[in-house]
Amino acid sequence: MNKYIYLTATPEALIASMLRPEEFGAYLSTGTKKRNKGQAIFFEVDLDQIEKLINMDSLNQRCVPKADGKPKSSVYLSVYRVLETIPLVALKSLYLTTDNGHTLELKKSSYDLSKETVGKLRLFQELLPVSPLVASELTPSAFLKKLTDGSIPIVLPKLFFVDLKLGELASNPLGGSVENLPYSNVGHLRDCLEILRGEYEKHMKTVQRVYSGSLLYRTIESGFYVGSKAEIIYYPYPTLSELENINYEFFRSI
Amino acid sequence: MVSLPGATPFEVVAIWSVLVIAFFGLAYAMFLRRQVMTCDKGTEKMQDVWDGIRLGANAYLKRQLKTIVPLIFLFTIILFLSVYVVPPTEESKLRFAGYSEESLKLIIGIGRAVAFIMGSIFSLMVGQFGMRMAVQANVRVASASRRSFAEALKIAYRAGTVTGMLTDGLGLLGGTLIFIIFGVASPDTLLGFGFGGTLLALFMRVGGGIYTKAADVGADLVGKVEAGLPEDDERNAAVIADLVGDNVGDCAGMAADIFESYEVTIVSTLILGVVLFTQTHELSWIIFPLLVRGIGVLSSIIGTYLVKGSKNDKSNNALKSINKGFYSSAAISIAAFGILSFFYLHDWRSFLSVVVGIILAIVLDEITKHFTDGNYHPVKDIAKNSKTGSATLILKGMSYGFEIAVWQTIVIAITIFASVMIYYGQPIVYVLYGVAMTGIGMLTLTGNNVAMDAFGPIADNANGIGELSHLDKDARKIMDSLDATGNTTKAITKGVAIGSAVIAAVALFGSFITDVSKVQIQMGFEKSAQLIETGIRISVPMVFIGLLIGGTIPFLFSSLTINAVTRAAAQIVEEVRRQFRIPGIIERTVKPDYQRAVDICTISAQRELIPLALISVLSPILIGSLLGVEALGGFLAGVILSGQLLAVFMAGAGGAWDNAKKTIEDGLYGGKGSDAHHAAVVGDTVGDPLKDTAGPALNPMIKVINLVSLLAAPVIIAFQKPGQASVGMFMTGIICLAIIIGAITFSKRGGFKKVPFEA
Repeated sequence: MNKYIYLTATPEALIASMLRPEEFGAYLSTGTKKRNKGQAIFFEVDLDQIEKLINMDSLNQRCVPKADGKPKSSVYLSVYRVLETIPLVALKSLYLTTDNGHTLELKKSSYDLSKETVGKLRLFQELLPVSPLVASELTPSAFLKKLTDGSIPIVLPKLFFVDLKLGELASNPLGGSVENLPYSNVGHLRDCLEILRGEYEKHMKTVQRVYSGSLLYRTIESGFYVGSKAEIIYYPYPTLSELENINYEFFRSI
Repeated sequence: MVSLPGATPFEVVAIWSVLVIAFFGLAYAMFLRRQVMTCDKGTEKMQDVWDGIRLGANAYLKRQLKTIVPLIFLFTIILFLSVYVVPPTEESKLRFAGYSEESLKLIIGIGRAVAFIMGSIFSLMVGQFGMRMAVQANVRVASASRRSFAEALKIAYRAGTVTGMLTDGLGLLGGTLIFIIFGVASPDTLLGFGFGGTLLALFMRVGGGIYTKAADVGADLVGKVEAGLPEDDERNAAVIADLVGDNVGDCAGMAADIFESYEVTIVSTLILGVVLFTQTHELSWIIFPLLVRGIGVLSSIIGTYLVKGSKNDKSNNALKSINKGFYSSAAISIAAFGILSFFYLHDWRSFLSVVVGIILAIVLDEITKHFTDGNYHPVKDIAKNSKTGSATLILKGMSYGFEIAVWQTIVIAITIFASVMIYYGQPIVYVLYGVAMTGIGMLTLTGNNVAMDAFGPIADNANGIGELSHLDKDARKIMDSLDATGNTTKAITKGVAIGSAVIAAVALFGSFITDVSKVQIQMGFEKSAQLIETGIRISVPMVFIGLLIGGTIPFLFSSLTINAVTRAAAQIVEEVRRQFRIPGIIERTVKPDYQRAVDICTISAQRELIPLALISVLSPILIGSLLGVEALGGFLAGVILSGQLLAVFMAGAGGAWDNAKKTIEDGLYGGKGSDAHHAAVVGDTVGDPLKDTAGPALNPMIKVINLVSLLAAPVIIAFQKPGQASVGMFMTGIICLAIIIGAITFSKRGGFKKVPFEA
């Protein structure tokens, strides 16, 4: 049986498992008594790239088939400041699992900076290592750089976040239609966006301090980003019509 | 055998032709059944899942039969003996001239008892055969969806048509047979036929409604809301009960409901037709409605056979194909009615009444669609209110529910007004006949309507089997599409069922007035004291009291049915939670005990049948015996008005909440998992027992009360002459009251003693 290493976002942990990504996603979201419902977001990590960072003897001893011959579901390797210790090059595909256990694979791709639109308001859900919901007028790459390059007092070693839909509010915070938004307190969201518009020096505004643990997959704008300073890995999220063809079960569940 | 004084050769041939058409309809049902049964049942895994549904369905039907058969036996005896309390009518004496008084009583008594058994058995057959057919079809639809959309659609719709044609064929067969044997004396026995069908429909509607929602709400509350499992997840112990419940409620319950409306409209039309025949000596008042029904059966056969997808179809055109069949049947029917009116009746009034009925069905359908379809403003508006939480969503849904009740009632009022205009200047009995013919017109396409309704649970179950047996993406897409179409067709037929129930009840109300007057004449009442002369005067305090109490009965009935669902759903919740705690169920290494949830639903559903049936049967006797026959008329008016308003409100609001949730699940306001979705799930859960249990159960309840009133009125008149107190009647009323109080107590507590559930 193969061994897989996963970096999960909720909670932040490095986990070894003998389950394939789809099975591991279903296990995390619905297959355990600890948690028989809930989303899971996790990366598959290239074991070869992190061999030197983990205790391989311990891994090989603990991650073995169960007494009945079934694959071992999870062996926790690390639970604190995990993302910052994993080199970006070790991150393989990103997996999103619905709360009823259907998993979507997002493959990583290079990020084309030239396609970024400047001057538009955005909503970023930070996922690791901290998890506020932040409104910003920065592009994803600028947002990442701002929070990781040390130019402001608050600095993060790495950041994993997702770009969420703002709809018409992206260009018209006060008058735009508020259909299909990822955040239900629309009045507060309008206020935050308006502050960004009005205050010249302000580029980011916290909308919600802590991540609720549940992402509305239908409200993802462009995709997921992970990186540090100028180094950025992009996981593009398909459109809903693409999604229906790529992974019908996942599409039905969101 | 046929006794039709003054019948032309055409009329004799016509009446026999109608009988042949009834058998032809049944033969068509058998032909379709054979077609469906030859299809394959798929993989071993699919058949394993299906077996659970089949066994659950069988257990329910068996238990239901056990509860109902003793009651059929009891009522058969009562109906037989009723003829010894009130003598046979003058028409019966005319039909069986030459027989002694005692022989005549025996003939009518046996006729009424046999007609009751026939009505009960036909209703039972429609429900039970229809449900068994649906269960047989669902696995075959799931299997066919692996090959093509067209094949899956064909199997699902044709299996539904089997139930539709059973409804058509048996309804026509019963009425025609009774008419052929009893001729002008048929009203004496038709009441037994109507009562049998209606009582059984009440049982199946109430039992089916409680079963389906207890399973659905229970399964959803723990499975989807608490544990986050998907719909139809194999780890949910209530999943099989939920799938069985779809058949029990939407197939057996709905088919029996529409069957009894179909039956009752022909009963009331023939009763009124006989009255008009005695006045005008024209048989066409009786022959025409039977011919209309016969044409309806033929046009349904043609229309339903046209429903099929083409080989290249992928999905999403099931509704188009079903509508094509429906409108083809409607066009054929209207053209044939026109030809028949022109060459046979030489009078367009009956034709116009029938056409008004068809238009009424279409208008009610459009109103239902406007208020409950996700593409229209009301449902979008309700969904929008989910953004501010479940309270505002529920309030908005209630607001639209009240509104739909207003519009539907106004449309029905306009329809009755149309009958007044069509028979303008004629005595009241013509207008009532016009209303009854409207009911006949409305249910012309019963074959198509029931087929559309039964299609819903078949497609739903097929999807469940697909989910549980992990069929591939393409098959799932086909089944999702059929399931979505099934939800729409179910909603449409619910509107028709409620509308037709009200029209049938109004026609029965008309029969009540004419029948009571006939008995009053027979008993030697003065003309000024006859109901047809006085009318039902709500200014008389006793009548107003009757009206008020009549208005409360649908509320009492709804309260008890919703209470029953809540109690049974709570038991399911506990059971599913208990099974989740069993090691291995969540991890899929242990299979849940599905049978226990099936047993809970079955027992809970059957437990409520007797008390609710007693309330329906005894409340008119209570009012009639204590307040008199005119007050009983007021009571009926109260039941019809509040029953109609409440049934439409509950169906409308429940349907709108359901579709508001579906709209959000399709991606509006963040889709599944959003706060808006959580609010919509609450609305849908509240609406479920309203639209699928309490609301539909009111349809047969209204008619059971009407038919019992029709049967009891002669007895009341015989024993309670104006201005004279009757100790016997008073005692009867007190006994009825005591039994009703006992029934309410039993129903509210789920039994006389609080005992833990034992399967």
